[in-house]
Amino acid sequence: MKSRLASRLAALMSSPPPPGPTRRSFWRSPVRGPWLTSVFGLVLLVSIPVMFVTGLLSYAAYNPDLSPVNDETPGKGLLGFYLFSWPTHPIWLYRLNQGVHVTLGLVLVPILLFKLWSVLPKLFEWPPLRSPAHALERLSLLALVGGAVFEFVTGILNIQTWYKFPGSFYPLHFYGGWVFIAGLVVHTTLKVPVMIRALRSRSLIAELRTDLARTRPEPPDAGYLAPVAPAEPTISRRGVLAFAGAGSALIALLSVGQSLGGPLRWTALLAPHGQDVSGPDDFQVNQTAASAGITESETGTAWQLTLGGETGAGTAPMVLNRAGLLRMEQYTASLPIACVEGWSTDNQAWAGVRLRDLARLAGITRPSSVLVQSLERGGAFSQVVLSAGQIMDPLSLLALRVNGADLTPDHGYPARVIVPASPGVHCTKWVASLTFRD
Amino acid sequence: MRHLPRWPGPSLRDLPVMVRRFLRWYGAGPLHLLTMAGCFALAGYAAAELLPNNAVGIPVWFVGAVIGHDLILMPLYTLADRSVLVVFRHRPPNLPAVPWINYLRVPVALSGLLLLIWFPLIFRLPTRFPVTTTLSLDPYLWHWLAVTGALFLLSATAFALRLGAVRRGTRKRRTPGPGSAGAPGDVTPDPPGPPEPPGLPASRLEL
Repeated sequence: MKSRLASRLAALMSSPPPPGPTRRSFWRSPVRGPWLTSVFGLVLLVSIPVMFVTGLLSYAAYNPDLSPVNDETPGKGLLGFYLFSWPTHPIWLYRLNQGVHVTLGLVLVPILLFKLWSVLPKLFEWPPLRSPAHALERLSLLALVGGAVFEFVTGILNIQTWYKFPGSFYPLHFYGGWVFIAGLVVHTTLKVPVMIRALRSRSLIAELRTDLARTRPEPPDAGYLAPVAPAEPTISRRGVLAFAGAGSALIALLSVGQSLGGPLRWTALLAPHGQDVSGPDDFQVNQTAASAGITESETGTAWQLTLGGETGAGTAPMVLNRAGLLRMEQYTASLPIACVEGWSTDNQAWAGVRLRDLARLAGITRPSSVLVQSLERGGAFSQVVLSAGQIMDPLSLLALRVNGADLTPDHGYPARVIVPASPGVHCTKWVASLTFRD
Repeated sequence: MRHLPRWPGPSLRDLPVMVRRFLRWYGAGPLHLLTMAGCFALAGYAAAELLPNNAVGIPVWFVGAVIGHDLILMPLYTLADRSVLVVFRHRPPNLPAVPWINYLRVPVALSGLLLLIWFPLIFRLPTRFPVTTTLSLDPYLWHWLAVTGALFLLSATAFALRLGAVRRGTRKRRTPGPGSAGAPGDVTPDPPGPPEPPGLPASRLEL
């Protein structure tokens, strides 16, 4: 029974392809071919590692190893092998990292689509499985293609705050990224020699000089890409490259303004944070007092900051009101707000009390960490733990004012944390307590 | 073994018979097997943490991503592209000999690309967005329509310029064909290329 099945399967595999997409003559595009695929492949081969590294850095920026409070993916195990204490300088580090990660991701969408279009005949190659090795290669494509589309879709939906993916964004995008990279490593190992051979088969300069009238299909290749029965060309290969490049350029033009900020913000006509907010000294937020459930009764005169110092000897909490904080020595720091979603603001002039001074006031001169808790109840980032380096940086403040005025409710009145080079969600608003640890 | 890729490392001949037999059955070299094992170990390790988040939803998304793109989105836009070509092929050839399809294809595709990325904002789907950001959801639809309009306007201008250039070109030199017909980016007239190679079907030139 089993052997009959096996022999039938073997017969199927060695039979000629059935009519339809499994026949090479079905695929007629005269511009499909190994050279064109390799050009797109090369662009992705250079860009995807940048996406991967900026993604890993973004995760490190949350200091997930510092405290379970910070860790959105506690089961990461070995995948957190590279983590390090996130620095506070340069102050634009996180702003740049996320701007690159998100903008580059958007810009790569047309490149990915053209790449997938160029290799579609491979999906239907015949026989579908030649050997166990070939079967494994095809299975790895699920990690590669499924992983790529999964990462792009979750990222793109998340920056639009449309949380329709099947779970919390952080574990999905983090573990999904590793699945994708596993598929990409196999694909790169198998295909880089093919890619190099294909790129050498034609001169890029010559292709860029070849117009439609002189465009001839690439010769049919063993890799199933070039057509055996090509249709008449309607676009040149340089036209395809210009087409994809125009798509990338258009997306960049319409979104990069949300990361550059300042007078260029309005140019981000199609990006979540391309609109200017009202008021000359105002800037973007991603959580308003109303959406966080912060009421005026909590932030009014009744508000108090609970300052705790957990030493080996025990805890010594004290309370400070806003007037008391304002009587302490005030410092200013010019720092941006940078969101994991890629948008950011110019530097804002923050004023308030240094975190290191508050640590000393709490009786801890060499703090190892601080637990910052917000008035906000629930919510993934209503509390956060900051590192020693973040506390001791002279630019790290418990800010009371910004741009010469008291904080507005949406910017965290009565007091918020601002730490250089830290993700926006770690600059806790509506701070209720700071608990320093020795 | 026909498609067996060449792998760096020990030659198959140096390996024991059993290993050689296994690799012949497997269909590739030992490094291939090692790479595959490494890949699936890493993917499996990550998947073991990924899947508990939603053991049904996530596999559906992965497989759905492949099916949705390769078997739905791509056939749909290919069909749309071919349909336009076929429909206009049967029109009387009253236009000068300029390939027109890319002047339609490019603005439609770029507009579609922006819609594909930004449809949640354009269709005002993230209803909490105005509450959390103080920003309005209203402008995105208009921005997208305006950009789409600008793309079509640009494309139409480029097409008109190209038509004009070709008309002037044919008037100037009657004998050679309508010069080089290029990609959408080729708005400026190309340097006069060699005459149109013979044997190209007239239908392409006339459309």
